[in-house]
Amino acid sequence: MKRHMFSSRAALLGLVSALSLAGALMPAEAANKVLKIGFVGVTSGPAAAWGTSNVRSMQTLAAWWNGQGGVKIGDQTYDIDVVTFDDQKDPKRAIAGMEKMAQEGIHYVVGPNVDDGAAAVRPVAEKAGIIYFPYAFPKALYTKPASNAVLGMVANYQSAPSIYKYLKENKGVKTVAFVCANESDPISQRDGGVVAAKALGLNVVADKDTYENDTRDFTPVLTPIVKLKPDLLVLSGVAPANAPLLIRSARELGFEGIISTETAQDAKVLEEGAGELANGFISVGGASTPEIRSKTMEEFIDRYTKKFGEYNDESNTKVYALQYIVDTLKADPKAIDSVEEFKKAMDTFSAPNPYLKDSSATLHYVGTTSFGQKRQLAVPLVVNQYKDGKFETLFVANVD
Amino acid sequence: MEQVVANGLYLGAQYALIALGLTLIFALMNVLNFAHGQMYVLGGFVTYEIYGQLRWPFVVALFASAITLAVLGGLIERLLFRTVIRRSVREESTMLLAAGIAYFLDAVILLLFGEKQRGVPKIVPGVLRAGDIIMPYDRIVVGGLAVLFIVGFILMMQYTRPGRAMRALAQDRIAAQLMGVPVEFYSLLGFALGAMLAGLVGGLLVTITGVNSGIGGPISLKAFLMVMIGGAGVVGGAIAGGFILGMLESVGLTVLHAYGDITYLVIFAALLIFLAIRPNGLMGKPWG
Amino acid sequence: MFRPLRLAALAVFVLVVFLAVPLAIKAAGRTDFYYTLSSVALLAIASSGVWLMFHIGRINIGQGAFALMGGYVSAILVTSAGFSFWLSLPLAGLFCAAVSILIGLPILRLRGVYFAMVTLVLTEVARLLALALPITNGAKGITSIPAPGAIGAFGVTLVPAFDTFAERNLAFYYLSTIMMTLCFAALYRLVHSRIGKLFVAMQQNEELASSMGINVPAMRILAYAISSFLGGLAGAIFIAIAQSIYPSSFTVNDSVNFMLNCFVGGLGHVFGPMLGTLVLYFGWDLLFAIGQYQLLIYSGVMVLLMLVLPNGLLSIRLPSRRGARK
Repeated sequence: MKRHMFSSRAALLGLVSALSLAGALMPAEAANKVLKIGFVGVTSGPAAAWGTSNVRSMQTLAAWWNGQGGVKIGDQTYDIDVVTFDDQKDPKRAIAGMEKMAQEGIHYVVGPNVDDGAAAVRPVAEKAGIIYFPYAFPKALYTKPASNAVLGMVANYQSAPSIYKYLKENKGVKTVAFVCANESDPISQRDGGVVAAKALGLNVVADKDTYENDTRDFTPVLTPIVKLKPDLLVLSGVAPANAPLLIRSARELGFEGIISTETAQDAKVLEEGAGELANGFISVGGASTPEIRSKTMEEFIDRYTKKFGEYNDESNTKVYALQYIVDTLKADPKAIDSVEEFKKAMDTFSAPNPYLKDSSATLHYVGTTSFGQKRQLAVPLVVNQYKDGKFETLFVANVD
Repeated sequence: MEQVVANGLYLGAQYALIALGLTLIFALMNVLNFAHGQMYVLGGFVTYEIYGQLRWPFVVALFASAITLAVLGGLIERLLFRTVIRRSVREESTMLLAAGIAYFLDAVILLLFGEKQRGVPKIVPGVLRAGDIIMPYDRIVVGGLAVLFIVGFILMMQYTRPGRAMRALAQDRIAAQLMGVPVEFYSLLGFALGAMLAGLVGGLLVTITGVNSGIGGPISLKAFLMVMIGGAGVVGGAIAGGFILGMLESVGLTVLHAYGDITYLVIFAALLIFLAIRPNGLMGKPWG
Repeated sequence: MFRPLRLAALAVFVLVVFLAVPLAIKAAGRTDFYYTLSSVALLAIASSGVWLMFHIGRINIGQGAFALMGGYVSAILVTSAGFSFWLSLPLAGLFCAAVSILIGLPILRLRGVYFAMVTLVLTEVARLLALALPITNGAKGITSIPAPGAIGAFGVTLVPAFDTFAERNLAFYYLSTIMMTLCFAALYRLVHSRIGKLFVAMQQNEELASSMGINVPAMRILAYAISSFLGGLAGAIFIAIAQSIYPSSFTVNDSVNFMLNCFVGGLGHVFGPMLGTLVLYFGWDLLFAIGQYQLLIYSGVMVLLMLVLPNGLLSIRLPSRRGARK
């Protein structure tokens, strides 16, 4: 009997290796006018919303450009092919995703969406020559000796100081309480926020309270915090799904101060989940709110909505990564298969920002203050206030 | 402190209702239904569509959630569990099946309803403020309904013919069969009832906490916790477990909030110690 | 002990894993397979621990806790205490085994779903501990862990430092597959030894086994310690590949997957978890082309597989075993 086991196993293993071989020999290269851009991030499970807005932004933009006949980089015209990989928010899978991108000869990858994934893919990306654009904030990813990661958005340690400063000066905020999910990303963001608040001389009355991310009822979590009656309640790194529940619980418990967060939120989700209780909620917006967005951005939103049925405000920010990649390649066509060229180009790159009304706005790389090197996309820091189903721009700032 | 107790009672009522369905299925078929949380989510989405989108009355939506899940539960038992239980050499195989169904429902829900958090209009506006207690009216209504459903369920199990048959089944399947109880029919009914309870509580809670496609797994995990505390396979245990966990969370988060991220660690540690002393929970039926 | 045919099968296995597969990968240029196959090997090691628990009649959905723990022990020893990775590897396994003995004393008294549910909670406990303990660096995780260094003895380099390899992942492939082969060989010996027979007796009826003079509690602890040792080992190697660890590096999902790997491969066979891991891992990858229907088809196939082959893939060729098991 045991013999059968051994030989059937060997046979199966042989079969699998034969299959993988066959898979490998299938034509991987298509016509040379396709430029593959990768995505490695989470598009399933509870955090699916993060990666989904990335993927859909990329796919909408790519389809739009391809429909116009492709993008011209140097003297060659390319169709953009978005290669996606769902890492299921699992760093082990994220590594496999990055390996797959390397295998496909891809040099530019958007994602991962979370800290652990972004850290885990670093050895692969640096070895294989891949520039990747995480939506994770740890400074170590972007500070030397790390060299291949480019932060795709505004980090909370960059946005928090300007938000708290604004609230201190304009709304008379003196005391702050923090609450966040008991997970790596939110806790890191809370710690960054606490530092920023203390630096401004604000009185931090609660900086340890956490909830489990799958909490459905936040009243017990918020009860002791609301009792402290802070002027400002910061929901550090709050997931879009949890924000309306937290706001609703806090307001129903009689909280009268200001509620804010430093991550992007979704107006529809807030409206459905908290209704008018969410009015006045301050968040960092997608980087192209109605007040400042251009016709191009409006058309993008239109196309996105047609393609996927419903728009996600987070895509206001996430539209930028692919735009930056392609525009930087246009500025330096040699970078198309040399990330070293790309890194050089990042230092000097500047191009008009198609998504903003302000025609003097440019796309360029920033991050010198926070990371000591230009490893961040410059996107406008838009601070929003929610009102009756829509975000209204509170103020706009620039990072760096 | 009154507020903390009120929070705990409200949480407990909804938890108990979640745990009931899980424990019923376990009692009748020795199946740990991994897909319980997903059934809850599905119930939530049915109510979301009917009450939140179509704007039909909430009661209709709740009814639809219950019926949908009852039918689904019945189908799952008839087509899947019955076959696997018959063919498999080890009882644990049903766990894989349940986990597979959980993933499958996750996928279906994600495809049908998308990845976003959804919510519906409040069923009752306003907030009750009585002394130190602050409790929104809709929470009071939902908590009350949850208690009502629990009482209804207990009465059904105690005094109706199907209830008695299912209790007989839970006590001793073979004996019940020998006594002429149509075991297969009541397994089907029990599974449908368990799924229905999940759908019902999902529909009920969508008015307070909304629903999103990713929370099925965590809900199941929470339900497992309650069942462990109270004891698996016993109605009283599920209810006790639900209320105890609700109270632990509420009190823990208040008392321990100065110490940071440890409330759940403390709850889990307490659970391990408790189970070391009482391996079958408060009143669970022994296994094996 | 090894009969000729079995020896031949072993030889074929070794040749395929250590020679044919790397050659095929090299020929096809699909170097991403080094990592995916290393993953499979490591996940199979962790799953084999879960399988051993099944073998004594316990459903262990907590292996993720020990993988995480092993990863942290190795990461902390390497980064803070300056240990060599090679020394930290067995220490990680032993630490997990020791912890599992402590936890096992109370929880191994639980049976059936109770044990399953408690172990499921353990993974959450491990994550929360990693977040709360100061030594783990909490939420920020431990990053920039150096790759495994060289092993030398008497001035001779036996294994060069992994950073010096042109294809780093090939080194990890060999490390993972060698560990997998050793673990499964050891497990095979264990299961077919006297102790293995005692395990089967316990799986079928603990009271009866006890009445026959088997020290059931000690045997349970032994099995759990071995299981956790394997989990810790796999976790430590994974962390060496990722060069970083976070509280979320191994989650409840991993714990559930380890269990599923065993089920799919077949609970009746030592090599079940290896096959199950391979099939589930690549099954998921192959379905990637389907895009948004990936999870739907994957889980659909899993449910169908349960219907058709409720006793695992390796039960296909062994119809006579079914009777023996009853």
